[in-house]
Amino acid sequence: MARRARIATALAVVSALGLAACGDGGGEVGADAEQTLTVWAMGEEGTRIEGVAEKFNEEHPNITVKVTPIGWDVAHQKLVSAAAAGKLPDMAQLGSTWMGEFIDLGVLEPVDTGVFSADDFFPAAWEGNERDGEVYGVPWYVDTRALYYRTDLAEQAGVDEAPETWADQLALAEAYQELDSTRWAFSLPAGGDGAWQNWMPYFFSAGGSLLDGDGNLTLDSPEAVESFTEYRKYFDKGLSKSTAAAPGYDVIKDFGADRVPMFASGPWMVQNIADQAPQLKGKWDVVPLPAGDKPASLIGGASLVTFGDSEHKAAAQEFTSFLTDPKTQADWYETAKSLPANLAAWDEPALRNADVEVFQKSLDTAGTIPPLAQWEEIAHEIDVTLEELGKGGDPAELARELQEKTEGLAG
Amino acid sequence: MTSSTVKTPVADRPARRPAGPAGAGDRTPPPRTPPRRDRLSRHNLSGWLFSTPFLAFFATFMAFPIVATLLMSFTDFGLRNVTDPLSADFTGFDNYGELLGDEKFLRALFNTGYFVVLGVPLTIGSGLLAAVLLNSGIDRLRTFFRVGFYAPVVTAIVAVAVVWRFVLDPTEGLIAGLAAQVGLTAPDFLASETLAMPSLIVMAVWRNMGTAMVLFLAGLQSVPTEVREAARIDGAGAFQEFRRITLPLLRPTMLYVAVMTSIGFLNVFEEPFVMTNGGPSDSTLTVSLYMYREGFNFFHMGYASAMAYTLFVIILAVTLLQLRLLKDKTK
Repeated sequence: MARRARIATALAVVSALGLAACGDGGGEVGADAEQTLTVWAMGEEGTRIEGVAEKFNEEHPNITVKVTPIGWDVAHQKLVSAAAAGKLPDMAQLGSTWMGEFIDLGVLEPVDTGVFSADDFFPAAWEGNERDGEVYGVPWYVDTRALYYRTDLAEQAGVDEAPETWADQLALAEAYQELDSTRWAFSLPAGGDGAWQNWMPYFFSAGGSLLDGDGNLTLDSPEAVESFTEYRKYFDKGLSKSTAAAPGYDVIKDFGADRVPMFASGPWMVQNIADQAPQLKGKWDVVPLPAGDKPASLIGGASLVTFGDSEHKAAAQEFTSFLTDPKTQADWYETAKSLPANLAAWDEPALRNADVEVFQKSLDTAGTIPPLAQWEEIAHEIDVTLEELGKGGDPAELARELQEKTEGLAG
Repeated sequence: MTSSTVKTPVADRPARRPAGPAGAGDRTPPPRTPPRRDRLSRHNLSGWLFSTPFLAFFATFMAFPIVATLLMSFTDFGLRNVTDPLSADFTGFDNYGELLGDEKFLRALFNTGYFVVLGVPLTIGSGLLAAVLLNSGIDRLRTFFRVGFYAPVVTAIVAVAVVWRFVLDPTEGLIAGLAAQVGLTAPDFLASETLAMPSLIVMAVWRNMGTAMVLFLAGLQSVPTEVREAARIDGAGAFQEFRRITLPLLRPTMLYVAVMTSIGFLNVFEEPFVMTNGGPSDSTLTVSLYMYREGFNFFHMGYASAMAYTLFVIILAVTLLQLRLLKDKTK
């Protein structure tokens, strides 16, 4: 008898849950209604955004933000699987190079350009979210590459000035290589995952552009050949290791031990050097990437997107405006050390007092990766090309092969 | 009499009952209850009920994906089909044709072959050696060694990778340090196109010999002492005893170890994934790793599925060959 009662209760609970689940599927909810907004955020941001969400909740007590932190390494697959299963959250943070892919999947809700204006953000960050006149994400934070080098070792090698041009950088590397402690003067990856990010600034700096007017890739342009030629010099002269580093290689160890006195990387390295090589305080500097024909860097970062299937689009828009507001962005810099995508945030005291001028300067001239659905594949082919370059491949020939291999991947 | 007839309850029926494929039975229906209804009778109901959880699990998580993958391998399933799987187009054998002309795939096949041809015999050999030593040679510390050899098998691959990176590191690694002591410089193992694969093979052998060892230990303990004694009385030396008595009697174990190790090694993925990511210059790119890259980095699911089935056919062929070559001849 008791057992039968228990089964009946269980059945009642199950059907109640089923009904509750059905109740959710009733169209869109306004921003004023009581609701829960689900957000996926990645990496460092994912673990820290909770605090910002609480502040948002103070202003909008009816909206509870539920953040799910996801590791960068699994984020891409999780998002695609969720898209396939129709189980996407309301909002997510999306890496800048994934934008094209998700626009292509047709799961993103276009941004209301009446609420968010292109003029408020770094142009390169905004353009990366734009396709065919529609904008699919609001830039949240940005990062860009700059050159880190050991000033004390440079002095020892007889160089006092910060490198400004490709020629300066090469000369500095050659001077470093003369030092006994130097293993490799410059950490320039010869292939391996993500090596393309190091090559991109050379390409932009040579005046290159990824797409021509018709939207076709131009990876065999004279500018591409020029940048490959410049890149290869470091391998030819023995200034950089001509084979790819093992996955997980951390340059800071070698930087701190005088073995690799120069590398190019993003703003996060400032904090990493302070944490992992505190003995270097005052012995290094970070400057904008030396320029070829013109100064250029590569912009990265992440945007906030709302998914088309969300029933809380109005609330998502509120949360997006909150997160991209100059005030919140400046606070965000203090908590997560992420550079604000909103231009006005750079005038806030938190940033004016911080040592971020280098990155601001780099961002003004940074090039962007257009939203291409198959960028991952193109990027992989560039990585392979750089590996061949390390083995002494001919730049012109490699550029032609690269163009051939990526034929049809854009568009 | 084969063993399957013993189990079937209908075996004790008159032999004239048509025993052939189901089709043959349909033509001349047996006078009484056909065997098919027998299987689903009340008598077997509890059996079916007990296996339902497994069957449901198997059908959902194994059978369905296996069939779906097979179908997918004949389509151009890509990123755009993720949200709407049925919109993928059938392309017949295009994917398989493309595979044959894909230099990278052929390279991956070669690398996998290299890994298996060297890795499997080394794993079996070292596992057998360790088992024989533990079984007869070492008396004290036996448990210590057993645990020592088996520990790598149960250690997480990430931890293994950290340790091996340290061992192989060209500047501060264990090997580099030892080499420096005697005035040599160690090569950069993982960055060298010729040394990367052998390094991974050594690591895989170290990681997998524990399993082989445990299986061989069990096999060795089932070799009857009478046979050994008889051989010794007949004047056989230790090596002769090993070759003529132990090895032939270990044949069933050997077969099992060889088949399981080969399947594992043909599917090699973890070692190159954590240590080299296929590099340098694809010299450690294996079929599984290439499949993963195509499938999950680029979402060429159709192409990756075709690769999976090609690998499956190869594994099947290798296994059948082994079953034939290592058949138990003592019976």
